[in-house]
Amino acid sequence: MTVAILRYAGATVGYRDPVVSGVAVAVEAGELVGLIGPNGAGKTTLLRAVTGGARVLSGEVMLDGRPLHSLARKEVARLVGVLPQQTPTGFAFSARSFVEMGRHAHLSGFAATLGRADTAAVDRALMLTGTEHLASERLDRLSGGDVQRLTLAQALAQEPRVLLLDEPTSHLDLNHRLEVLDAVRALADGGLAVLAVFHDLDMAARYSDRLAVVADGGIGVQGPPAVVLTSETLSAVFGVRAVIGRDVVTGAVQVTPVVRDGVRPREGAPRVLVISGSGTGAALMRRLALAGYAVCCGVLAEGDTDAEVARALGVPFTAVPLGTVMSVEHGEALRAAAAESDAVAVVATPFGRPNVGNLRAVVEQAGRTVLVGDLSPSLDFTGGEAGALWRRMAVGGARQCTDERAAVAALEEVCDR
Amino acid sequence: MPGRTQVRSATVIAGLAATLLLAVVAATSFGAVAVGPGQVVSAITRALAGRTLVPAEALVIELRLPRVVMAALVGMCLAAAGVLYQALFRNPLADPYILGVSSGAGLGAALAFVVGGSGALALVAPPVAAFVLALGTIVLVAGLATRRGVMQTLSLLLAGVAVSYTLAALTSFVLVLQRQQLSRVVFWMMGGLQGATWPQCAVVAVMLGAGLAIPLARTRELDIMLLGDERAGELGVDVERTKRLILASASLMVSAAVSVSGLIGFVGLMTPHAVRLLLGPDHRLLIPASVLGGGVVMVLADLLARVVLAPVELPVGIITALLGGPLFVWLLVRAQREET
Repeated sequence: MTVAILRYAGATVGYRDPVVSGVAVAVEAGELVGLIGPNGAGKTTLLRAVTGGARVLSGEVMLDGRPLHSLARKEVARLVGVLPQQTPTGFAFSARSFVEMGRHAHLSGFAATLGRADTAAVDRALMLTGTEHLASERLDRLSGGDVQRLTLAQALAQEPRVLLLDEPTSHLDLNHRLEVLDAVRALADGGLAVLAVFHDLDMAARYSDRLAVVADGGIGVQGPPAVVLTSETLSAVFGVRAVIGRDVVTGAVQVTPVVRDGVRPREGAPRVLVISGSGTGAALMRRLALAGYAVCCGVLAEGDTDAEVARALGVPFTAVPLGTVMSVEHGEALRAAAAESDAVAVVATPFGRPNVGNLRAVVEQAGRTVLVGDLSPSLDFTGGEAGALWRRMAVGGARQCTDERAAVAALEEVCDR
Repeated sequence: MPGRTQVRSATVIAGLAATLLLAVVAATSFGAVAVGPGQVVSAITRALAGRTLVPAEALVIELRLPRVVMAALVGMCLAAAGVLYQALFRNPLADPYILGVSSGAGLGAALAFVVGGSGALALVAPPVAAFVLALGTIVLVAGLATRRGVMQTLSLLLAGVAVSYTLAALTSFVLVLQRQQLSRVVFWMMGGLQGATWPQCAVVAVMLGAGLAIPLARTRELDIMLLGDERAGELGVDVERTKRLILASASLMVSAAVSVSGLIGFVGLMTPHAVRLLLGPDHRLLIPASVLGGGVVMVLADLLARVVLAPVELPVGIITALLGGPLFVWLLVRAQREET
């Protein structure tokens, strides 16, 4: 059984007053644990408690099986390296002497020069971060990304067993962000225990083995990203209604925030029925919800993007299993709902046998309908029926527009009439 | 690669030491009675060998040399303290005079003068009293300038000025009580070096040595603390302990300087700043180079003070203020530009 190198055992951390209480989180060698949570929840305080920037007010933080308070500053620095959010710039030190500062904890008080082991550790740190070529550059002449990698090298020169990262990439562009996080992931795979604060949930999901939520003065859910990052958690913790998907390339959990919590229809708002599918109606639904309309949807298949977005927005719809053909009852219910709506929006969507019933249900409402986009034959998998219904509505007085913004304006006019 | 850096460092240090020696000899040869540089050197070697001295040599050894050596020691103390304050406060504007430490030490020394005493007590009491009040002053000023753990440049300067004025007023009050020696005391306050004796030089040299011991053993910590307290802690530096030790060391050296030569401003500002521009931020080099540089600056400033209106002597503090004041303004303008 592996022993956690860094373990918060019922620890309460803070400054004068507690910030996060009763923390039980353990990080093992070779593991990258991500801390997520809203601003000011105390994620950084948790990290700072290890290196002395914040205090452990009660409970215990254990490093390598020993309580933190029994360790001297230098002993902690030999076990724990930190990559801070941002390092101050403008120092005329050479990059190499900057990285050599990481060896302080391994040097005795009066030894002014580095020994062979120290030089080797510095060389290794420069290599692991791909910064060998910067060694003789002056720090104040390097870019933020380079300084950040050199700061990582400085932390690695400590030869730590635990690495703490505090939103280490929030000031970097995408390329440097991936570079730093890829390096950290490789270090974790090489046996380092990493505890990292993430701002970006997608990055957190992509790089972490486990996530822990810091919110409301304590630790919430903990577990693999797919377990932690649910729409319920996001709503409860961040106050955001989100669609949880999967990154097609990396397979990591992907979070798409839709709207903030608290978005709800205005008092006496007009009712708009949106007919869409496969994600074609997501943008329109979001715009209408933000504008305060009472939106509802037609029949959508489970797992359809529009169904996910509708659920996140709190928009009512009828869900059926994927591939199920709409029943007569569904059609009748939808026809009734269409009749009661102030306006209907029909978005150009791939229509096939399962969902063409949506079009049939609203075809009589042409006078109150806005058609969004163009239903080209390539979207029609019904042998022409969907196209015919679409044209019938167009001829019957439905307005036509090309994008969501125009559609919202047109729907507003329809409702005002 | 460390070899090359060490050679460069050794060259710089040797160059500065040689300059200091030349400056000392030059400053000693100047005076109402001209004594050639050769005579100065021979007088020193003969005195060191314990030979009896001719009157001209006695003049050099008993009157001129202690003053020049004292100038060098005072410059060294102030420059060393300047380096340390600048490192601790991460602020190129920090200087014992601006931070009010000199005024604190001045008040301590003035109190010791008033209380009086004789013999060894008269020699040791002023620097010790100066040290106690200097330490109290820097703790007070740093405390006033810190809000929620962050020290602001502007607050630090304002606190320094405010505390400095208050202490200077108290010092004047104390000294007025000592009216019979007023002219001597006023000259001391404006920064004067005449009347320096070898025993005084010995006291200041001991305090300089004691004040330099800890900083020279902790140059790496000082380098790392430039990255900020938090980062220094993460890298294993005991920041609070180091700060206390360094503040005490710097204040000890300021007290030594002030108790013999009064308030001499800007040496602690100019010298480290110039040295840093030339040699970079590495304290292993910065401290010894600033110490030697401070000695050179002060010996030359004292020489100027004697030459400008000869045979009338200016207080050396006037010279350093005239040189350092404009530099301070330039630094302040530049710092403001960086902050906005």
